[in-house]
Amino acid sequence: MRLQEKFTLYNAVTKLILIFVLGSIILFSLEKISIHHLDNRLLKKETKLIENLSDSEVDSLLNAQQTFTDYNILKDEFIVLTPLNNKLKVDTIAKFTTGDREIAGDIETYRILTKQFKYEDKYYELNLGTTASGALSIKKSLGMYMLIVLMVSLTVTLITDYAFTRFLLKPFYKIVDQKINKVNDPTAFDYSKIATSTADFVLLDDSINGLMKKLSDLFLLEKQFIANVSHELLTPISILNGRLENILASEKLSEEHEEKLLASLKTLSRLKAIINSLLLISKIENEQYVKTNQVNIVEEINDIYEELEERIAAKNLTYQSLLHENFVFIGNKALIHTLLMNVINNAVKYTPANGTITLTDEINTDFYRLHITDTGVGMESEILQRVFQRFARGNHDHIGGSGLGLAIANSIAKFHNITVNISSKKDAGTTVSLTFPLANLA
Amino acid sequence: MNVLIVEDEKSLALEINDFLGKEGYIIEHARKKASAEEKILINNYDFILLDLGLPDGDGFELLKLIKSLKNRDDAIIILTARSEVDDRIKGLEEGADDYLPKPFSLNELLARMHAVTRRKHKFERNDIKVHDFVLDIQNRAVSFDNERIHLTKKEYEILNYLVLNKNRVVSRTSLTEHVWGDILEINSDSNFVDVHVKNLRKKLSVYAKTEWLETVRSVGYRITL
Repeated sequence: MRLQEKFTLYNAVTKLILIFVLGSIILFSLEKISIHHLDNRLLKKETKLIENLSDSEVDSLLNAQQTFTDYNILKDEFIVLTPLNNKLKVDTIAKFTTGDREIAGDIETYRILTKQFKYEDKYYELNLGTTASGALSIKKSLGMYMLIVLMVSLTVTLITDYAFTRFLLKPFYKIVDQKINKVNDPTAFDYSKIATSTADFVLLDDSINGLMKKLSDLFLLEKQFIANVSHELLTPISILNGRLENILASEKLSEEHEEKLLASLKTLSRLKAIINSLLLISKIENEQYVKTNQVNIVEEINDIYEELEERIAAKNLTYQSLLHENFVFIGNKALIHTLLMNVINNAVKYTPANGTITLTDEINTDFYRLHITDTGVGMESEILQRVFQRFARGNHDHIGGSGLGLAIANSIAKFHNITVNISSKKDAGTTVSLTFPLANLA
Repeated sequence: MNVLIVEDEKSLALEINDFLGKEGYIIEHARKKASAEEKILINNYDFILLDLGLPDGDGFELLKLIKSLKNRDDAIIILTARSEVDDRIKGLEEGADDYLPKPFSLNELLARMHAVTRRKHKFERNDIKVHDFVLDIQNRAVSFDNERIHLTKKEYEILNYLVLNKNRVVSRTSLTEHVWGDILEINSDSNFVDVHVKNLRKKLSVYAKTEWLETVRSVGYRITL
């Protein structure tokens, strides 16, 4: 769940609980207070009544129950005096009850004081009632009113909470999106600050900027290091190469020494190939190439086939090119050639004699995809995961190569926004799929 | 022919000196831009081999200086370890005749020098006679008795390179490097080159004998002209 939703939910729950508790307390005490008022009034009336009681009054009360209600049109109050026969059960403590009484056909809720007392040797029970419906209806309508007001305010605050936290968290998502998700290359990082007045997000933004600065410094350092080292190594290799060639040209050389010199030259040329490959990767990563050539993929593949023809024939491989599309990609011709060459050359290298290499393609509105499938030795998944790393090699030490071929292919692909997918099964074969974005054509 | 090597790396200059000396070139060497400037202003050279990264300046400045001089026809080949892609284009646009990235094979350098010479002197014919065959450099074709022999691109390149390096043993390594470049991962133990040479021989021997294209023990190949 998102922080924003969590905040809103938390606010909603706490507000609901608060409203419920407060409402209950208010309603409960409201009832208590009004009942207490009624009770007090009844008690005062009762005391006054009993104090001022006379014979005639008792009689009139006993006889004139009916007329009493007559002048009390609102039926707010009533007095009922009942003579008691049982003398033993006199209880002189006033009791309060709430109950419904029917007076002149209307049923209403009354607060009733019941008291038994002795008057001139006779026992009576006095019921003094006053209506409680006012208090109850106040409680009811107040409760209702409160509920509505609170619900409305709850809804309003929820919406504002949601909107406000959304507003508050906006810089956060912006930071995550711009500063983390969209960053492919730390050296091209945008250090501009995300506008926010929240100190925590400023801190986050600054921390990410700081981290990226360190990262890109390291990244640049690595790139520079590779470029410098490679560059500095080239001149000494040139010297060695020249020296060996000069010695080799000497007439007096024994055959044994000549072979050793040749082996040294080969090693040197391997070293040179590695350095040049590293330099190539570093140049691609530094975007030192233009990518505005029109590259006809089928033409490139035919060229590559011509170059590899001898090797394919030597291993008696079946080479099938089932390409239908005449796809033209805008990129760097030499680099695309190298990319395709490395992939196809790998297929040739890792496919045992009598195997098959198949090229297929597909096109739709978004991309052109080229599949290079071989029936070669394949790879285990753990090797598959690091095939793009520099100097990563499978367990095929008998097959030559620097382990840079796919690293080069990968940086060329990245440079052109080409996606490389490799699926492979040990001893069954490998399929390399290159996805060329059509957006590049625009 | 006299050559000026402008190169701050003494050992490399010495190796080039040795190699070209045996080929009959007369060599002078300048290690700094200042001394190179002096030599250039005093002498005419057939070739100036120019390193771009000099201790007291940029080789491009020398290139501009040479091009600003009147009545000079010095051929300039840039030798550099610089990795910037633009440098090659810039060098050639500024008027260099060729550009050879370090590390390079001395045989390759010589081949390029031969090629430049041929261009400079505008051979009336771009055809080179190779015994009974004719190598047409302009059209990249080989013919026998005016009949064109079909060769693959690589076979032509191999023949061309061996002819440029005539009478010298060309090792398989430098042949591979020249013909295939070094971006392609070269499987140095394969008999890749041999297969192409074998095919080349086969195609040529249909028309005439090819003893002049000899295999030199474990080293490589040589064309004797």
